[in-house]
Amino acid sequence: MATTRPVQISTKQRFERMAYMFMRMSGISLLFLAVGHVMIQLVINDVHNLDLTFVANQWNDWGWKAYDMLLLTFAVAHGYNGLRNVLEDYIHNEGLMRAINFVLAVFVVATIVWSAVAIASFDAELIHQVMGS
Amino acid sequence: MQANLRIRRYNPESNQKPWWGEYSLNDVNPNDSVLDLLHRVKWEQDGTLTLRRSCAHGVCGSDAMRINGANALACKTLVARLKRSESDQSVKVQVEPILGLPVLKDLIVDMEPFFDHYRSVMPYFMNDSAVPNDGRERLQTQEDRARFDDTTKCILCAACTTSCPSFWANGKYVGPAAIVQAHRFIFDTRDEAAEERLNILNEQFGVWRCRTAFNCTNACPREIEVTKAIAEVKMALTSGTV
Repeated sequence: MATTRPVQISTKQRFERMAYMFMRMSGISLLFLAVGHVMIQLVINDVHNLDLTFVANQWNDWGWKAYDMLLLTFAVAHGYNGLRNVLEDYIHNEGLMRAINFVLAVFVVATIVWSAVAIASFDAELIHQVMGS
Repeated sequence: MQANLRIRRYNPESNQKPWWGEYSLNDVNPNDSVLDLLHRVKWEQDGTLTLRRSCAHGVCGSDAMRINGANALACKTLVARLKRSESDQSVKVQVEPILGLPVLKDLIVDMEPFFDHYRSVMPYFMNDSAVPNDGRERLQTQEDRARFDDTTKCILCAACTTSCPSFWANGKYVGPAAIVQAHRFIFDTRDEAAEERLNILNEQFGVWRCRTAFNCTNACPREIEVTKAIAEVKMALTSGTV
């Protein structure tokens, strides 16, 4: 049995490590969330039945709202962080990259908040009334 | 057998852009190495061809180059291993300098940026504690020694670092070879500077730039599992244990 020792890792440079861990964990989570989403929407339920009433029925339940918000958060953050990694490979001007990182962060937060508000405030009853179902 | 070589040439003393030199060699033996072929070109056809080599036996790591699109040591790449023509009578060999480092002349690149990264991880034994009572070596178990055995084999040929897409994209990335060198000391129980090296590799252009492309593992002429070593360093950084 090989000897192991604890080491003190500096907390100053934490972002890249956290981003790396996030990409791994969100990637695995997305595998289940996204494949689950496709299976539920398109395979288990017939694609021809996939209409606003179906969405209203699903989002009448806070569990499904939470599922979709989780999928949204992981997908957006995972995608934008991947984009950041690609851009950092090609943009070597530090000031420009800082500005781009700021814009990307704003987009991530705005997209997640905006979409989460849309999901959370979704009124299933109103849809049923309009659709007459 | 005939060998048709296509060699990337560059002479900084002329105003010419880099060009492809084409050379044919007869009576090539399948057991000849690409280095043998390059020697024949230089000695028999064009004495201006410039390349770096020393031991010619895969130990010194001087003659890493891009052979038929993949990094390898010219001295360890035999003609028999290269793809031959359908008639089996000829072989095509394309030779270029390794990528990602400035070309000085023909197949010679400036290795200083590579060695700067190498030096940045402090690739030497660090232990300030008193020597053992018997005044002899610091002992460790076979299991402890086995943890970094693979990474002791590195010959600093730069085949791994210059096959890495992350290094091509940004030369500030410390690169696989430097991480392998750091691994060799980080996991050595006799060394006391694991934290310092890990904190260096935790920086913006450290180990997190690795995108796990596995090019380094494929390129290593010493068959070091480079990507695995990088993953072990990442694990040490995330778990806080070596």
